[in-house]
Amino acid sequence: MAAKVESPLSIKLRCASWQQLATIYKRDLSRGTMFLKATSQPAIGTIVKIDLELPSASIVELQGTIAKHVADPQRGTGVELALEPLPTSSVWMIESALAAENQVRAQSPSPTAEAPPSRPATLSDGEEITAAEVELIRALEAEAESLRKLNPFLVLGVGYETSDAQVRQAFGELTKRYHPDRFARYKSQRLRQIAAEIFILIRDAYRRLADEKGRQQVISTLKPRVPGRAQTEPRGSGPAPRTGAVPRVAVPPRQTPPEPTPSSQEVPTNPSSKTAELAMTELAKGDSLVIPVERAAHAPTEKLTAAPKRTMSPVAEPVDASAIEALLDEGKLDEALAQYRQLAKRHPQDRGLRAGIELCEGLKAIGTRDRLEAAQRFEAALELDPSNERAARELAEMRRQATNERKGLLSRLMGKKEPPP
Amino acid sequence: MSRIIGIDLGTTNSCVAVLDERGQPKTLVAADGERTTPSWVSWSPEGTVTVGTRARRQAVTNASATIFGAKRLIGRKVNAEDVGWFAKLAPFRIVAAPNGDAWVRVHGQPISPQEIAAHVLRRLRAVAEEAVGEPVTRCVITVPAYFDDAQRQATRDAGQIAGLDVVRILNEPTAAALAYGAHRVREGRRLIAVFDLGGGTFDISIMSVENGIFEVLATGGDSALGGEDWDRQMLERIVDEVFDRYRVDLTDVPMALSRLREAAENAKKELSSASETTLHLPFLANDQHGQPINFERTITRDEVEQLTQSLLDRVEAPCRRALHEAGVEPGDIEEVLLVGGMTRWPAVQRIVERIFERKPSKGANPDEVVAMGGAAYAGILSGEHDDAALLDVTPHDIGIKVGDSGFSVVIPRNSMLPVRARKLFATTSENQKFVSIELYQGESTDLRGNRKLGQVVLDDLPPGPPGSVRVELVLTVDVESILSVTARELRGGREASVTIRPSGGLSQREIVEIINRRRQENSIVAKLPSEGGHIARVATREQAAVTPDDEK
Repeated sequence: MAAKVESPLSIKLRCASWQQLATIYKRDLSRGTMFLKATSQPAIGTIVKIDLELPSASIVELQGTIAKHVADPQRGTGVELALEPLPTSSVWMIESALAAENQVRAQSPSPTAEAPPSRPATLSDGEEITAAEVELIRALEAEAESLRKLNPFLVLGVGYETSDAQVRQAFGELTKRYHPDRFARYKSQRLRQIAAEIFILIRDAYRRLADEKGRQQVISTLKPRVPGRAQTEPRGSGPAPRTGAVPRVAVPPRQTPPEPTPSSQEVPTNPSSKTAELAMTELAKGDSLVIPVERAAHAPTEKLTAAPKRTMSPVAEPVDASAIEALLDEGKLDEALAQYRQLAKRHPQDRGLRAGIELCEGLKAIGTRDRLEAAQRFEAALELDPSNERAARELAEMRRQATNERKGLLSRLMGKKEPPP
Repeated sequence: MSRIIGIDLGTTNSCVAVLDERGQPKTLVAADGERTTPSWVSWSPEGTVTVGTRARRQAVTNASATIFGAKRLIGRKVNAEDVGWFAKLAPFRIVAAPNGDAWVRVHGQPISPQEIAAHVLRRLRAVAEEAVGEPVTRCVITVPAYFDDAQRQATRDAGQIAGLDVVRILNEPTAAALAYGAHRVREGRRLIAVFDLGGGTFDISIMSVENGIFEVLATGGDSALGGEDWDRQMLERIVDEVFDRYRVDLTDVPMALSRLREAAENAKKELSSASETTLHLPFLANDQHGQPINFERTITRDEVEQLTQSLLDRVEAPCRRALHEAGVEPGDIEEVLLVGGMTRWPAVQRIVERIFERKPSKGANPDEVVAMGGAAYAGILSGEHDDAALLDVTPHDIGIKVGDSGFSVVIPRNSMLPVRARKLFATTSENQKFVSIELYQGESTDLRGNRKLGQVVLDDLPPGPPGSVRVELVLTVDVESILSVTARELRGGREASVTIRPSGGLSQREIVEIINRRRQENSIVAKLPSEGGHIARVATREQAAVTPDDEK
């Protein structure tokens, strides 16, 4: 543990440009360090609090301890900080902002490259709009790309334990932002298309999460990462029993049974050499050419069997994990992890403890900037223990921050006065 | 950027609205002081076109060249059942266009309903331009939710002919709800039903309104049921009575029929508040002996209600179905909005109250609320209103043909737009070379009851026994109800896709021809000294508005 130092230093840093932020982020933040120029050199172990202001005026809070004194001829004299793991939200905020900016920059040298032959004359701001449209397309494409990877809860930015009203509210907010009508005034076909793509993702997530039954179904299809399944009820009040392997794809029941075999006269005697003429007659007939396949054909894409088998064994003796949670609150991840592991060894049946391990791993992953890993760990934690509020909160927060940051970006691009949150 | 106007293009009356300076929708008043314009168009023998109230006044003297109810014909085939009924009692001729569409014949000249609607739209545009004092080229036009793609496209085409860029087609009940909700910023979710019984169509929509999000949960209706059917029932009864008494068939006397229609409609309006009224029609026609028929008759509300009971019965089933499909009970509905002039009829209000178990609200003006909703939606589209959003649905099932005449639904009706759905299909014969996927829209399980939208052919399929070749079909419907289809063979990845542009019956070339013809007519008129200035201005503007469309 770092030595106790009475007075932490507070520093404000302002990134004037995204480029600058990108440099700092790549060189320093993503490695968990930061170099600060300083004439005086505070003692090693001093806690430093940094408010990093992004070009979008959002503030990212960083905290670290001085790890060593540096006297580098290139960088000058100063101190190197060992940073505390950044909160998920900050990582998302920075990365999503950078990603969107990169997209925009990559595009800007050739603004017309993918822009459709729009008619800028019909728009109020004349030709400038075309460039703005291209930016908007880039930002939306990045958004669509990231949404595609997320499960419905993350798409809407709601926790696993949520209510119908919360889901509706989240959907409503996203709708006001992404509904294709929002983009109706842009002439670019591509832009409106990509907006529709995004909205379809949001809409599908909403449809699946709109009620408790649907939510439980989605939770049951989220793939558990942890092998070896304990058969205990989760801690706490626990969610409603899972519905099991209910198909989640809303395919209506078929009306037409598959035709048994083709009538023999349909099959030519030499099937290898169907003539063009035959093809024409089939086309003209066009009748019994298509039949729906059994729904089972979807099976490869559905993890129906992946849902954990759960027998209803009695609840194991309750384990008091509140002490560890206090550690988590203080950000002492390694200690918390070690304690969870110990407890889990003693109580192998307790899913809550194993969820705790996943949660710690997830929080650590955020510290190492592995967002994907972090998200997967949180999901695993929730899979083990859907009542793990912290994991749900972290996941929702990751999502919400990314969305909010993009909202600021979108608003800017769409010429709204609305300040970024 | 010019402002977008909202137009309610009604069966009997039309109305136009814009957003005022405070962003509130308001209906615009024509120079003659009227807030609604009758959807009537009349041609003099010289070819002069009259629109609105003046056209309607001519109906008696110029019955065969005065057209009303074009909305019942637009995008329809002449052999549709309700078009047949309409034709039977209309004082003008309804004829079949070469493609089977229902057109009218005026002075020997066939005219498409799109053109007739365009005259009304042009008139409304003029009203709007006068009121806002600037040129108007863009609009939102409302249509019954139950309109199919052809009817919607035909309405768009009418807009184009009138020199208007139709930014979006909006469903009338949704528009009504939007106008209603625009005044009420209330937290919390409210379920409302919009009961829209207009001159020619009936729509029922179940919606939820929450925090500026207007979500259509289910919609249904009857695209061939409206106030004019009530008039027609009365009309038929009187025609029968006259025949019984005088042995004269009034359906052969267009002028008498026009007067009767007018009288029946007025009687119906009076009976909405009074329980009894008198029809008084002197010199209606001549009897067999050449003697004038002076028709006079007392008519009671009870009598009309009995006469039209079968019409009233037709509203219940769509309401029940919409409630069911929205997944709500009648008791969950917090408010029932009445839209359309026919909802003033007491029996209609009674049945609404019975179905939804509550008294309907009568706050909004049912004749204007739809156009106001159109204007509110225009505000959303132009970015003026960014705290509201509208979530509409597909009004009909969309699916493909399977087997000989089976219909397999891929996108069920009442799916929120935009929507995408996938479905997997397999070949049915050995070494099948291709599949032809035909897309249909409608509710019938039998294909013949539905409307064909288009088709896509996927060829060069890999060989294999029946069922071995899988084809994935992806259907997407965007917010403008444009359907695109992609078919992909799963093993080889071969793909075919098509975007289905609905046809309203007129080809783009025909539309341009109509526009050009009108432009010529206008430029001829423009040379006349008396009206010169104004018409020439209209012509130039039309030209300007039309040019971009020509490039398409």
